Amino acid sequence: MSDRRDDFLVLENVKTHFDLGRDFLTRKSKGVVKAVDGVSLTIKEGETLGLVGESGCGKSTLSRTIMQLIRPTSGKIWLEGKELSAISDRDIRDVRKNFQMIFQDPYASLNPRMTVLDTLSEAIRTRHPDSKGDDLLQRVSELLRTVGLNPAQMKRYPHEFSGGQRQRVAIARALAPEPKLIIADEPVSALDVSIQSQILNLLKRLKSEMGLTMIFVSHDLSVVRYISDRIAVMYLGRITELGNAETIVDDPLHIYTKALTSAIPVPDPRAEHARKRVILQGDQPSPIDPPSGCNFWPRSPVEHDAQMKETVPEFVEIATGHWVSNCRFCVEPTATSAS
Amino acid sequence: MSDISQTATLQGKPQPDPAGPAVAAMLEELEEGSSLWKDAWARLRKNKLALTSLFLFILIVLFCVVGPFLSPYDSQAQDLFVGAEGPSAAHWFGTDTLGRDLLVRVMEGGRISLLVGLVATTVSLMIGVIFGAVAGYMGGRVDAAMMRFVDLLYALPFTIFVILLMVAFGRSLWLMFVAIGCVEWLTMARIVRSGVIGLKKQEFVEAAVSLGYSHTRIILRHLIPNVLGPVIVISTLTVPAVMLLEAFLSFLGLGVQPPFASWGVLINEGQQNMEIFPWLLIFPAFFFALTLFCLNFLGDGLRDALDPKSAKD
Repeated sequence: MSDRRDDFLVLENVKTHFDLGRDFLTRKSKGVVKAVDGVSLTIKEGETLGLVGESGCGKSTLSRTIMQLIRPTSGKIWLEGKELSAISDRDIRDVRKNFQMIFQDPYASLNPRMTVLDTLSEAIRTRHPDSKGDDLLQRVSELLRTVGLNPAQMKRYPHEFSGGQRQRVAIARALAPEPKLIIADEPVSALDVSIQSQILNLLKRLKSEMGLTMIFVSHDLSVVRYISDRIAVMYLGRITELGNAETIVDDPLHIYTKALTSAIPVPDPRAEHARKRVILQGDQPSPIDPPSGCNFWPRSPVEHDAQMKETVPEFVEIATGHWVSNCRFCVEPTATSAS
Repeated sequence: MSDISQTATLQGKPQPDPAGPAVAAMLEELEEGSSLWKDAWARLRKNKLALTSLFLFILIVLFCVVGPFLSPYDSQAQDLFVGAEGPSAAHWFGTDTLGRDLLVRVMEGGRISLLVGLVATTVSLMIGVIFGAVAGYMGGRVDAAMMRFVDLLYALPFTIFVILLMVAFGRSLWLMFVAIGCVEWLTMARIVRSGVIGLKKQEFVEAAVSLGYSHTRIILRHLIPNVLGPVIVISTLTVPAVMLLEAFLSFLGLGVQPPFASWGVLINEGQQNMEIFPWLLIFPAFFFALTLFCLNFLGDGLRDALDPKSAKD
């Protein structure tokens, strides 16, 4: 286990639970939301990991936990050999510049009372506290050019930009402290489709030019496939399958991944017509008191036996670099059940 | 930490920039953005009622501040041979029972009333905004404790509080500022707190946290500027409320003491003799009411300008 800590980013059995408190009168516990329930991951420097899953599966909580915006309930997180989860609330501020986040909604993620210049200068000063005057202006205009904005507009306010432009400003702000890790939490889902591809290409370019490591969170598998080297599929707070992007999309093992990939539309009408969908039953259960054992059993088209409903399946490396939550009902369903 | 921070990815040193070597030249062609404040001012300018109120209010302030210097009369000079007389060419507003020129007394009373209004509002603004922002930002137990303290002060009857203060420290104008300020900041704190709680969940505050900014910076730069809209509106409505409180205290004899006068004192004197010398009530009451109207309309206009969604028309 110890050698894994030498990797760029290591998550070890990370759990983020939210206690709902007790009922005022009966003092009974209202339950615990298990948003992230035992995630172990290793991310290599310079790679892009796509994190997919339905709404409410814990993707955003996991990214905020890695960002230390929410501290994990248990488990450990290492970034470049440094255990983030062990740093005190007071000291965490000093290391935050090394990992930055791009948020989902560019209309909410920029302070409406600050110009782009103010927003970016403030962020640049986290890395270069003494930068001011011409030097600072130079840095701001360079950042704006990097994300494809006109530096002459730096004195404008966020409401004077379009959604796509705002997201570019938000990306510039995330780059300003010169981080090594960027977590993009659904960075394109609030944008028009035509703008989405621009922002995706920008992120892809920046990542390769600057050698960033990126975690790309999305519920849209086709978007994730485009940008990621590896993909992790998340379900109810756990990772169900992890592997290279092509493997996950073209050759998934877990039935949940199959259901997700079969939902990607195909541009060729004939192929689209022949596409077999794996249809799941019902909705994702509530993360308050989630199903025990293989947490997918209530929705699986294959009936689980009592044993798999009780024991949590192991997360095993089935082929090189291809990990799956090894439930014998989910991983090896027959062809007939996947119609 | 050093192992992470040593490798700067983007701009270890700013590269010489081919597109803009002369930063100064570039600065000149920067497009000025229009801030939300500018937009609000543009909307306010279209609101005739609010603009007229603002103009009238400035006139009243000038009248009270500059007026006494232009008047030949001293506000405290008595002329017992004249006594109370109605408006005339010599005394435009007439004289009071001691023969003092009412015009000068209204102007000087206005100074005190406006001063009380503005100072007490500023005091309540400072305390309320900071207290409310800290409570809302910290949340949890800190918030609960701070807001219970506010509830406690709310529950204290204002008059008894002031009388206790007067008994303990003696009467003074400054004590009145303190007393009024102590009461008025409570509402401000509640409004700011609720605003901050709403803002705290917005992503730009999360972004500020993830950039490692200090609590002070987040509160001062990211939270407070975004709740100032409602705060400004409440302030314009607090000024008249404070002036009314001052009038009420003076009426009870707890506020401004003779020979000084405020509008509240003048109105009090006027109502004692209103059947015989009605002008003693009419003139100060007119100015007082006018000021209150102006500030209320201005506050309404500001609310609509700062938050266009809430505008009724």
